[in-house]
Amino acid sequence: MDAPAAGAEESVRQGHPLIRAFTAEFDDYRHDESRSQGEAQSISFPQTEEDVCEVLRTLHGDHTPITVQGARTGLAAGAMPHGGHVLNLSRMNRCLGLRRDADGSFFLLVQPGVVLSELRKYLKGKSIPSAGWDESSLEALSALQDAPEQMFPTDPTEASACLGGMAACNASGARSFRYGPMRPHVTALRLALADGDVVDLRRGQVFARGRHLELSTEAGRTISVDLPTYDMPHAKNASGYFVQDDMDAIDLVIGSDGTLGVITQLELALMPTPPVIWGVSCFFADEHQALDATVGLRDEVASAAAIEYFDPASLDILRTQREQSTAFSALPLLAADAACCVYVELHCQDEDLALAELDRVGGIVERAGGSEAATWVARTELDRESLQFFRHAVPESVNMLIDARRRTDPAITKLGSDMSVPDDRLHDVIELYRTTLSAAGLEAAAWGHIGNNHLHVNVLPRSSEEYARGKALFGEWAREVTSMGGAVSAEHGVGKLKRDFLAIMYGEEHLREMARVKLAFDPYGQLGRGNLFDASLLEGGA
Amino acid sequence: MRIIVCVKAVPSTTEVKMDPVTNTIVRDGAQSVVNPFDSTALELALRIKDEREALGDDVRVTVLSMGIPDTERLLRDCIARGADDGLLLSDRAFAGADTLATSYALSCGIRHLGRPDVVICGKMAVDGDTAQIGPEIAGVLDVPCIADVRELLACDGNCLRVRRGTDAGIELVEAPLPAVITVAKDAAQLRMPAICGVRASLAAPVEVLDVAGVGADPARCGLAGSPTQVVRSFVPERSSGGAWLEGSPAQQAEQLVELVEGMGL
Repeated sequence: MDAPAAGAEESVRQGHPLIRAFTAEFDDYRHDESRSQGEAQSISFPQTEEDVCEVLRTLHGDHTPITVQGARTGLAAGAMPHGGHVLNLSRMNRCLGLRRDADGSFFLLVQPGVVLSELRKYLKGKSIPSAGWDESSLEALSALQDAPEQMFPTDPTEASACLGGMAACNASGARSFRYGPMRPHVTALRLALADGDVVDLRRGQVFARGRHLELSTEAGRTISVDLPTYDMPHAKNASGYFVQDDMDAIDLVIGSDGTLGVITQLELALMPTPPVIWGVSCFFADEHQALDATVGLRDEVASAAAIEYFDPASLDILRTQREQSTAFSALPLLAADAACCVYVELHCQDEDLALAELDRVGGIVERAGGSEAATWVARTELDRESLQFFRHAVPESVNMLIDARRRTDPAITKLGSDMSVPDDRLHDVIELYRTTLSAAGLEAAAWGHIGNNHLHVNVLPRSSEEYARGKALFGEWAREVTSMGGAVSAEHGVGKLKRDFLAIMYGEEHLREMARVKLAFDPYGQLGRGNLFDASLLEGGA
Repeated sequence: MRIIVCVKAVPSTTEVKMDPVTNTIVRDGAQSVVNPFDSTALELALRIKDEREALGDDVRVTVLSMGIPDTERLLRDCIARGADDGLLLSDRAFAGADTLATSYALSCGIRHLGRPDVVICGKMAVDGDTAQIGPEIAGVLDVPCIADVRELLACDGNCLRVRRGTDAGIELVEAPLPAVITVAKDAAQLRMPAICGVRASLAAPVEVLDVAGVGADPARCGLAGSPTQVVRSFVPERSSGGAWLEGSPAQQAEQLVELVEGMGL
């Protein structure tokens, strides 16, 4: 499974118009947002599915490892190369067509490199680049322009993520509390396999029988797979392959971390943007009050689309940033007694309903020990933007803090958790984080999707020794979270950074089952090498 | 103490589209918002209220606007953020007002509300950019005016002290009350409403008056009271093109000097 010799790579590259040597100018493509650095010998920037298949066929002969990249915004090093070739899909950024079904719902067909922020712009302006579209797509576009504004509900914090990468890691975001992760919103996709063959999947057409799945490729080959036997956790999850009895085949591909094939097209189910979207930030004097409010909001506020949390350390970081950095001076001013914050976003059909829900939120806040007066209600575009800036400023500030500390100790990198637990273990997992961080003497800030019991706990190491302690702590959390019935990765995917946690979550035997699935699709383990499994699990091939 | 904040509804979009035939702004139904400068004015008023009420004073902040009936929605939003009540001047006879007719109408509204201690306006509106309303109101009311306030330093019942921008720098100015001030956009950031504020705004009083109701002279309102005549408005032509300078940096610098000299600059 070692990368091929440089000589072999050289012969592959010679005369091939798409494959280029990985020279210094491509250094940026050695990493994603996890900031881990990989190595590669060649790179390509295909623009069409035909280009992708051509590159795959060319590299299949000598089993060259291939890392698929999109916008490289991932946090789990899934797009960090592991030797061999980088297949970067950022230039596959066209919208290919639009479909409207009998119910009037819209489905947009995109290439994997379309960036989420661009998609949002297209939908908000009801103006989608339509060059080359067929007649029926143009008719659907005309209908979309007359219809209420549409949205794609998956909303990871990083809006420069691309749709293909989001599907590959089954991305989520704040609104996944209401709309779920990306998986159910992808209705079709095309998957190029390591040998250049293609599988076309449409939701509702190909199902497993129990835990056995058979797929036909366009070349007429049949892929026969015994699916892993584990049960999925009852928590938000992006850890390893998604499996269920009688599952839809498309769901196996979504969230497979680029290990089964290359997504060359995907169809996205759009939905009407709710007419009324209000954001409410509720401030509390202590974390227990915030947790109680979260449980109340989750149980009683039917129109809650997102429930987010910012712990005391996160708010303190924001206070400091607001004072010290002009870039953050526009942050809303926090009251001195605001220790932590729960943000709830209401998606309603009309203002009367929103007002009734707002009353409910107020009651829950007061019951938890907070005060209606210590809330911010964002009902205007400007206020919503202000709250979004506030929410996004937390991870950005932590990244800046880590970068500053790394200047004194290069061994320090970001240490952020992505674990989730079932609803009834929320208080337990927070207690776990607080107790163990305190015992380890580590500084940390926690924020994220508390409605799904899914917090990003970020250890802020001051030295390489603290970094090592934090890393060890994450292993301990992975074990504890697994015992609570949770997931070691809830939205970032496993990539290369969390594969040890995946082994903790599922155990060696289930990892072998997953590896067998991979080898059925990719017999030489070329794609996404290093993602999900250690290469040793793929030894020997199919 | 009574503070009146004048607010204007402006288009929410930052990309104003012009009709290429009529050369007027295309108002395509985009929802209107409170002029950002006026939001700052409201925040300064609310800070005075917070400060004075903490000292035991009774302070009433009223938001005042002239506009279409939908503007009431914006006044209620101002109340949700902390204002006490609102007055909306709404009548077809107010339509087409220039700054003179607008400041006259608003002054009538201010007189209707009773003697204010402070009137706070945004320095200008983002859709008109005239910066005339505040000073004109002060003129009609015959009270001092401080324009382009960057920072409010103090305001008791008798005078206010501010820092204001001038071409030469920042001035420290004090004025006796009553007075009108106009404020720069960055002087403060408007607070968000709390849940209890939103609830209170639903029931809060917002008086809506027409020309007769506010006691205004119809001849001084709207188009009839506006001496300003717009002779022509147009979208400036965008010049395009340019020249590429080639050669070494020194050669390019020489060519640039020649170009600039050729332009007579």
